[in-house]
Amino acid sequence: MKNIGTLLLAAVTALLVTAGGASASSGGTFVFCAPYGGDLFSLDMHKTSRTQDYIVGLNINRSLYKWDADQSKPVLALATDVKISADRKVYTFSLRNNVKFHNGRTMTADDVIWSYNRIAQPETSSSAASYIANIEGADAVMTGKTKTISGLKKIDDFTLEMTLKHPVDIGYALCKVEAAIVPREAIEGREAEFSINPVGCGPFKFVKWVRGSEVILEKFDGYFEAGKPYIDKLVYKIMPEGAARDIAFRSGELDANIVGASQYPIYLRDPQIKDNMIEVAEMYTRLIGFNSEFKPFADLRVRKAINHAINAELIIRKLLKNKAVLATGFLPTSSPAYDTAMKGYEYNLTKAKALMKEAGYADGFTFECIATANKSWGVGIVEALIPFLKRINITIKPQQLEGAALGERCRTGKFDAFIWSNESGPDPLETLNRYRSTTPRSAGNYTAYANPKYDKALDMAATAKTPAEKLEWVKKANRILFEDAPFWFFNYNKAIIAYQPWVKGIKPVAIEMMLQDFTNVTIDDSSPRK
Amino acid sequence: MRAYAFRRILQFIPTILIISVIMFVLLNLLPGNAALMAGDQRKAPDPRVVEQLKKEWGIDKPIHTRYFIYLKGLVQGDLGTSFLRREPVNKLVGERIWPTLRLSFAALFISVAIGIPLGFISALKRGSLIDTASMVAAVSGVSLPQFWLGLLMMYLFSVVLGWLPSSGYGNGNFVNLIMPAFTLGIGYTALLARATRAAVLEVLHKDYIRTARAKGLSEIMVNWRHVMRNTMVLVLTTAGLQFGALIGQTVIVEKLFSWPGLGSLLVDSIFQRDIPVTQGCILVMILVFLIVNLVVDLLYSVVDPRIEY
Amino acid sequence: MAFSKAALKGNSNLIIGAVLTVLVIGMAVFAPVLAPYHPVDDADLMVAEEPPSSDYLCGTDTQGRDVLSRVIYGSRISLSVGLVSQLINTLIGVILGVTAGYFGSWWDDLIMGLTNIMLSIPSMIFALAIMALLGPGLVNIYIALGLTNWSFTCRITRSQVLSAKRIEYIRAAEALGYGKWRIMFGQILPNVVGPILVMATLGIAYAILTEASLSFLGLGTQPPTPSWGGMLSNAREEFFTAPWISIFPGLAIFATVLGFNLLGDGLRDLLDPHKL
Repeated sequence: MKNIGTLLLAAVTALLVTAGGASASSGGTFVFCAPYGGDLFSLDMHKTSRTQDYIVGLNINRSLYKWDADQSKPVLALATDVKISADRKVYTFSLRNNVKFHNGRTMTADDVIWSYNRIAQPETSSSAASYIANIEGADAVMTGKTKTISGLKKIDDFTLEMTLKHPVDIGYALCKVEAAIVPREAIEGREAEFSINPVGCGPFKFVKWVRGSEVILEKFDGYFEAGKPYIDKLVYKIMPEGAARDIAFRSGELDANIVGASQYPIYLRDPQIKDNMIEVAEMYTRLIGFNSEFKPFADLRVRKAINHAINAELIIRKLLKNKAVLATGFLPTSSPAYDTAMKGYEYNLTKAKALMKEAGYADGFTFECIATANKSWGVGIVEALIPFLKRINITIKPQQLEGAALGERCRTGKFDAFIWSNESGPDPLETLNRYRSTTPRSAGNYTAYANPKYDKALDMAATAKTPAEKLEWVKKANRILFEDAPFWFFNYNKAIIAYQPWVKGIKPVAIEMMLQDFTNVTIDDSSPRK
Repeated sequence: MRAYAFRRILQFIPTILIISVIMFVLLNLLPGNAALMAGDQRKAPDPRVVEQLKKEWGIDKPIHTRYFIYLKGLVQGDLGTSFLRREPVNKLVGERIWPTLRLSFAALFISVAIGIPLGFISALKRGSLIDTASMVAAVSGVSLPQFWLGLLMMYLFSVVLGWLPSSGYGNGNFVNLIMPAFTLGIGYTALLARATRAAVLEVLHKDYIRTARAKGLSEIMVNWRHVMRNTMVLVLTTAGLQFGALIGQTVIVEKLFSWPGLGSLLVDSIFQRDIPVTQGCILVMILVFLIVNLVVDLLYSVVDPRIEY
Repeated sequence: MAFSKAALKGNSNLIIGAVLTVLVIGMAVFAPVLAPYHPVDDADLMVAEEPPSSDYLCGTDTQGRDVLSRVIYGSRISLSVGLVSQLINTLIGVILGVTAGYFGSWWDDLIMGLTNIMLSIPSMIFALAIMALLGPGLVNIYIALGLTNWSFTCRITRSQVLSAKRIEYIRAAEALGYGKWRIMFGQILPNVVGPILVMATLGIAYAILTEASLSFLGLGTQPPTPSWGGMLSNAREEFFTAPWISIFPGLAIFATVLGFNLLGDGLRDLLDPHKL
């Protein structure tokens, strides 16, 4: 009943919008940027694993769920309703019956099943495999034993039954664009072609990809939300250089831009831009990881001393120009399991010195911290730590590396310490699983953190009967992680998008700010591109 | 001359072969691998996917085996398949070569159009204010860090004046080409101006020019016929040698201006450890360089008929 | 090599170039005396990104370090990049060039083949590949730039040696039974020192610029080393908001490179008075 109401409301809104003045809101070209690294790799969402590609792919594709930026949680996208069994293991989806692929065919339950099966095949090497791993029988496909996931059952064309191994909120995994629902006939036998000429069921269809330069999408008239999207054309400029993006935005060539720390204070002072910025604490936690095999770091007191010795707030204010949120633990403020009671390690030199003395390191030691050239979580931050750590007689040596070289050393444990930005959401339990003692370094537990109590808390959370109970256990695990300080907790990214005054509808997307869904974005007549 | 050209083209083969070995060894020794770069590194890596990708790309095989597989393809004109983009390198490189050539030749054109006249005027008005000023400008031109100059220009022409788009390829619009071409060409313009000046001065002092002058040929005719021809030979020499440097500099300029050419593809692929793409880019760049040099050599005989092959 | 007054006269390139070079060398030698602050240790975030003032003549950078002091200390880094890498280049180029020119035959063919191959790889790209292999760092910069720019020196040395070989007294030395190495490095080399010196001087300028380019790509020296290229590259996002952070190192690079370029040109004019 509620769903029909929502549908009606949407229809009425759509009518009102169209009637209320099509010229004011629909039409026009939106020029956005793809800022992360160089050219896109692939627009086959199952095969790529780069944010740069997802930024574009999100608007071509749809998944079963989508991320709702306003509520900061996943909501249904391709289904109108889901019934969840009492043990929270069986999900029955009522799929929309008006979803069309860009080739004109209507999407059915078979497409969902085929897409998930494809993700699970080992030859797809999909990074989305972990998102569907929780479906019963996915393992057997992932190891090559069989071709179809037994936990997926088609009831009829628009009803799908999904059985899970554990009672998790599967929306967090299935809202990812990596788990997009794609049409079989556009892929089978022409996989290579599909990755550069994709077909989806999202609000925009693919037009052209000028290598290294831009990707052009246009409004898909058959999109299932009536009257949407509003803009006619969506262009992504591939622009990795921050300074160049800044110039392009200020000269009006870009309709919106992701804001870097160096631009943030200027934009805040600019009367034309300051009111047209939207910000969110992104679910990425910036930290320095201490290798537990490096002798001084084996001592908890040393790790704590470092946390106490650094004035992170000052670094955020001066170096990052307040474009970050001070970390009070691993899980970020935008996480559902964020613990408001946690205050973080206070900046207290006396305490730090005392801890160092207690640990027998009053005279300090020297360690090397590997870092990339990244401005907000790279070698520049390590440089800023030099004077702070000097006061507790620690010499920190920055060692700049490229991403690939740093990744290799992290995975193999060949470092004293590293600085990085680690994903810390959206599903808090999933993200904390990365630091279980059973997770090898090569799977992301770079510092080789191990605490049985932490593992236990996560186990309890996974098997908890109620969501509230689960949340409590997750919070407990987060507190243990904080107390053990395998990291220097630095900050959560404050992601900011600045947009032109004619733009409406940019959302604070906490999972990754650049994953903007353009279904509801409009531009008014003052845009030069309308 | 045709036989000469043919012989030169044959010589490309060992050159390319040796470079391919050097590059293959060098690039395959780079720390880290493409499997690590396949995903968003902020996420926990999936070791299963990493191992699978390594196998798929054949980077689990010993290096000599990989080289012979690569060489086999190379002989057939196949540069391999990109790790991360899962497309033939031939296609990727093919798409990028035109923007780079366009940029390089635009830079070359600017250099020739400005550098040579400047050098001429300087030489003819030796010691004058124009001479001093243009030579100071020329030395300054080769002494500026390129990306710094590019940023300065971006700020001036895009932000302050709003005349030119700050970056990007812009569907091949001419206005998008101006700033990158100038940034790339400025050092070369300066070099050409200096080379031209020196060449003209040298020629002006040669005996046959004096003789021509004595014969009563007008100043203009002297300058035009003799000086031009002899100068062109010297200028061509610098052009040939410097074209390699120009191609090398596209790496910086293309990165700065988000120009979708070979240079930016090369830098991206080297950081992403997409080795087949890196190798492809380097080989194609070298091939372009070799061809340009061959053309330059052949042009010698056109410009100066006294040179024969 | 007549350093006559007449030759110096009118050679303003040489004079300006020499003055600039001496200034930079002086800056490098007396850095601890000249610099008001320590380039790394005296960092204070409280005074980050301060515009030029009486306390900080060239302002401070994002880390709150004195830009002037970093520029002064940076001369050591840039000069060492230029000098060391050019020393390596020159050594390789001269040894290969002299031996190729003197011995001829298969050795000459081999060296010339190698030189031609080196000439066909854009040196910037070769350096980029080596830096990616070795990782950022000062010593790695020396190596990358030292291994990739010797082919011109090698060629020029060889051709000079070939012409020197025909000179009477070299023939005489051979007739007297002097050893090959003694003739090569004792008799022939001094004759070709001029062009090599010119090449090396211009090479220093090139190396300093290339270090800046590599820094732009994130493959320069290791922070917190105060290298001019690195400072310039790191401050590019603050280019419009805190221009002093990149203006001063930019000017320093410009002046230094200009100095070496002028010096090189001047030397060429001086050593080869026939060529104008």
